[in-house]
Amino acid sequence: MHWIASLIVGLKSLFQKQRVERELDEELESYVEASVAHKQSAGITAEVAHRAAMIELGSRNAVKHQVWSSRWESTLDGILQDIRISLRMLTKGPAFTIIALLSLALGIGGNTAIFTLIDQVMLRNLPVQNPEQLVTFGPENGGGEAGGIDMGSYGLFPWYFARQLQADPGPFQGIASFCSFSDKVSVRLPSTGGAADSGTPAILAPANLVSGNYFSVLGAQPFMGRAIAPTDDDTPGSGAVIVLSHHFWQQALSSDPAILGKVISINGSPFDVIGVMPENFHGIRQEMEPPDLWAPMTMQTVILRQPSMLTPSGGLYFLDVFGRLNRYAATNKQALAQSQNWLDQQVRTGIRTEEGAKVTPARLQEISRVTVPLVDAARGASSLRDQYGDSLKILMGVVALVLLIACANLANFLLARAATRKREFATRLALGSSRARIVRQSLIETLLLSFTGGVLGLGIAFAATRVLIGFVSQGNAYIAMDPTPDTTVMLFTLGLSLLTGVLFGLAPALAAARTGAAGNLSDSSRTAQSSGGKSARLWPKMLVTVQVMLSLLLLVGAGLFLRTLRNLQNQDYGFERSHLLLAEFNAKLAGYKPSQTPGLHQRLMERLSVLPGVRSVALSASPPISAGNWSSSVTIPGYTPAPRESMHSILNRVSGQYFETVGISILAGRAFNNADAANSQKVAVVNQTLASHFFPKGDAVGRSILIDINSVKGPWQIVGIARDTRSGDPRNTDPVRMTYIPIAQIDPFLPVDSSTPAATGVVAKPAVPEENQDRFAGMILVRTTGDPAHSIADLRASVTSVDPNLPLLRITTIHDQVSHFMTHDELISSLTGMFSLLALLLASIGLYGVMSYNVVRRTNEIGIRIALGAQTPAVQWMILSESLLLLAAGVGLGLPLTLLATKYLKDQLFGLSPLDPMTFAVALFTVSAMTLLAAWLPARRATKVDPMVALRCD
Amino acid sequence: MPVKIDEAGQQIDLVQGTLEMLILKTLALEPMHGYGVTLRIEQISNGIFRVNPGSLLPALSRLERGGRVKSEWRATENNRRAKYYLLTANGRKALVTERDQWQRQILAISRILDA
Repeated sequence: MHWIASLIVGLKSLFQKQRVERELDEELESYVEASVAHKQSAGITAEVAHRAAMIELGSRNAVKHQVWSSRWESTLDGILQDIRISLRMLTKGPAFTIIALLSLALGIGGNTAIFTLIDQVMLRNLPVQNPEQLVTFGPENGGGEAGGIDMGSYGLFPWYFARQLQADPGPFQGIASFCSFSDKVSVRLPSTGGAADSGTPAILAPANLVSGNYFSVLGAQPFMGRAIAPTDDDTPGSGAVIVLSHHFWQQALSSDPAILGKVISINGSPFDVIGVMPENFHGIRQEMEPPDLWAPMTMQTVILRQPSMLTPSGGLYFLDVFGRLNRYAATNKQALAQSQNWLDQQVRTGIRTEEGAKVTPARLQEISRVTVPLVDAARGASSLRDQYGDSLKILMGVVALVLLIACANLANFLLARAATRKREFATRLALGSSRARIVRQSLIETLLLSFTGGVLGLGIAFAATRVLIGFVSQGNAYIAMDPTPDTTVMLFTLGLSLLTGVLFGLAPALAAARTGAAGNLSDSSRTAQSSGGKSARLWPKMLVTVQVMLSLLLLVGAGLFLRTLRNLQNQDYGFERSHLLLAEFNAKLAGYKPSQTPGLHQRLMERLSVLPGVRSVALSASPPISAGNWSSSVTIPGYTPAPRESMHSILNRVSGQYFETVGISILAGRAFNNADAANSQKVAVVNQTLASHFFPKGDAVGRSILIDINSVKGPWQIVGIARDTRSGDPRNTDPVRMTYIPIAQIDPFLPVDSSTPAATGVVAKPAVPEENQDRFAGMILVRTTGDPAHSIADLRASVTSVDPNLPLLRITTIHDQVSHFMTHDELISSLTGMFSLLALLLASIGLYGVMSYNVVRRTNEIGIRIALGAQTPAVQWMILSESLLLLAAGVGLGLPLTLLATKYLKDQLFGLSPLDPMTFAVALFTVSAMTLLAAWLPARRATKVDPMVALRCD
Repeated sequence: MPVKIDEAGQQIDLVQGTLEMLILKTLALEPMHGYGVTLRIEQISNGIFRVNPGSLLPALSRLERGGRVKSEWRATENNRRAKYYLLTANGRKALVTERDQWQRQILAISRILDA
């Protein structure tokens, strides 16, 4: 506790400096008196004794200083003093301070903003126990239901198999599963009475189906109540319980503390609320729009409003599966390999059982090589990470470079200032200050700058992150990202500020320390500046060269991304990308039965087509371009596929006028029309790629096609060939097969599956045929004469007039729909563009500063030259040539660096090579033009030097 | 430390901490003011050690901070006010251990020199 006492005493003396000083004075006084008295007692006269005592004492101030500096608080006092001096220096040159703070705030702010996103998207662990033990089975970045694929491909599994793993997790601590997509459900909240009230308006919220052990395997504790337990997920149809996300509880239920045990209605069925999860829990998958509700898998038919997918064998592949490794496998490679082997064995056995007796030896070989990789899921499975990871890394690099350029600038300014302050330093050294003290003061000045810049940067980062998240969220109302900086981000910014300060403050501080005490004092200030020595002039030039180099790199990067975006946008999409409005709706959620759809569709089309400014209206299952697809393999009578040939085609069910409305031209045959009704000949339109692949002789029209999905099997007679379109990611330029069928011709009932064996113990189904859920359309398409955005209100009103309960989920223009695929291209190109211009501006300011300073430094010399008869162009050239040399050096070093760096951008580019000559040329031109401009202004000033003034002054 | 040993015109730096030990020893006899300590050290060492105030006062300040001595203002024999330094219990202990260490060092050094 001794240091605490020392701390208190030290602080006391720091705050009562005057009292301490007075006491010291008194003690010295009494010391001298005692000394004089002693000498006098030895017989010396008073005067001589006094003089001797004073000589013994030496400088009174020096003694006091020695006592003062023997105490720790003197260091603190010195630092405080240095801070005061630094603040005074900074406010004395407000122009420099403002520029410095601005560039630092932008540099640090940019870094912090990008880091905030990186931290949330890529670095943060799941808020569960021992997240490092979690692995997903296969990459889990997509969602959907599929048939006819190998188990585990796309990370998808059927229910019975997941259930089997869950019951016997082998070397894993536990294995759990969840539905690979979170469909929106219609929720009605309890009224004050406590029962689900049909009078309250419905809310749409994404709900995720999970296995009973989902929460226990994840190791996630509920915020209140309990999580879903294996007993809830026992038999299909039972377990009507629901767990809420914190966000949903807060937003929809106003954080009702008594929510547990209440009943809410989901898709018309009552569910007991059993728990609320903590705020930062969003499930194992980190999604843009995380689930708000979790229900047991057994409630699948209610949540998804689809026939049961929980079949004891076979069935759809719609589950993502993950496991918790045992303690050894999480740390030991060999144990991990054992777990991997076990899983692969299970999957191979599963596939063999599914394929039954018809397996050929070649196929057996193939199956024995199937592997479902264990993917580390400590940070959750994240599609965001896949989508934005690379972009974020590139952006992090870009903002780091910008900060480097800003640092170089400040280092340059401070070096120039250190040179002008040489006399001050020399004076201080001569008066007994230590070099360490001068370096310290210089560093404190830069740290003050960098920390103030850091604080401002935090503010900028907060604003920028909000904008970025808004951009990334694509209009989603709620996403699991937060611009508020947390401890990690704060520490990052703190560290960055410190690093920045040291980076740009070290060179000037060392330059200050190198000042010799002698010599400099006698020099005039101007000659002192010009006699800085070679090394003093080399530093600024090197820094400017580096700036030119990095600016070139950034400009080329920005150019490449900009052109990539342009290439993506200017592709031929196969449909018209203007004047089209898309509205997603869901009649199922409003309680419609498939048999009611023809009437509903009819009414919608009629009501919408009479709207003013509407040219035509169509309905379809999916928009012309979307991320997910309805697809299947197809069978063509008379076409024998090669072994393992893909018979895959993307499907869409559309109303008449679809092709006209979307603007897809028909190349042969005809489009659908109103005559293609339920009772007429079933027809289909295929695209060019499908037609030319299966019918190379060009005889597609008139042939028939079967779809390997029972509900829409066909046969469909091909009546037309449509142009190819981009139906998904615009970067994917491979031609895609497409089959369109008229929605009106889809059978009202599913074919009765006669092969269902009655002997499996399942109660025989009643003979009522099941309704065909594929008769629903999901998308309204409206072609307008004017700006489609102006028709949104009319469209809403019309749909409401047809049925006020029909939910319109999302309304976009086709332009926005296409843009969504390029969000990260837009993000990266606009940000790199902005940052590279900022970098160029900073570099130009830097060059201008260095050159101006050079001219001022050489005023004497220039004056003499002009007096001796040097002509204006010669003087101008003298200054310009120096800048040109720097430009040449910067470009000479920057070009190879850029060529090297752009190689790593190859995957991010589209439609151009990383060595795109056009981009390089423009970047080179821009850098050169800016450099020359920055150098020309000081050069012009040099020619204006009046020799008489130059020689006379100083 | 800036304590100088003035011996035959030669000045040699004292080992760090020696001055503090000497001050402790001096104060162990009786409380003293600053000049008193200088005088006592000079007298006992027969004038070999002359401690100037630039070293003495910082050393006293350090000792006081370390809790080994405490100070109070008292009247001198000539009826003037002076800051007197007193040894604390802590200081007494420190003197014993430092003295012990010092003697062992001396012994070791002389053994090496005599070997």
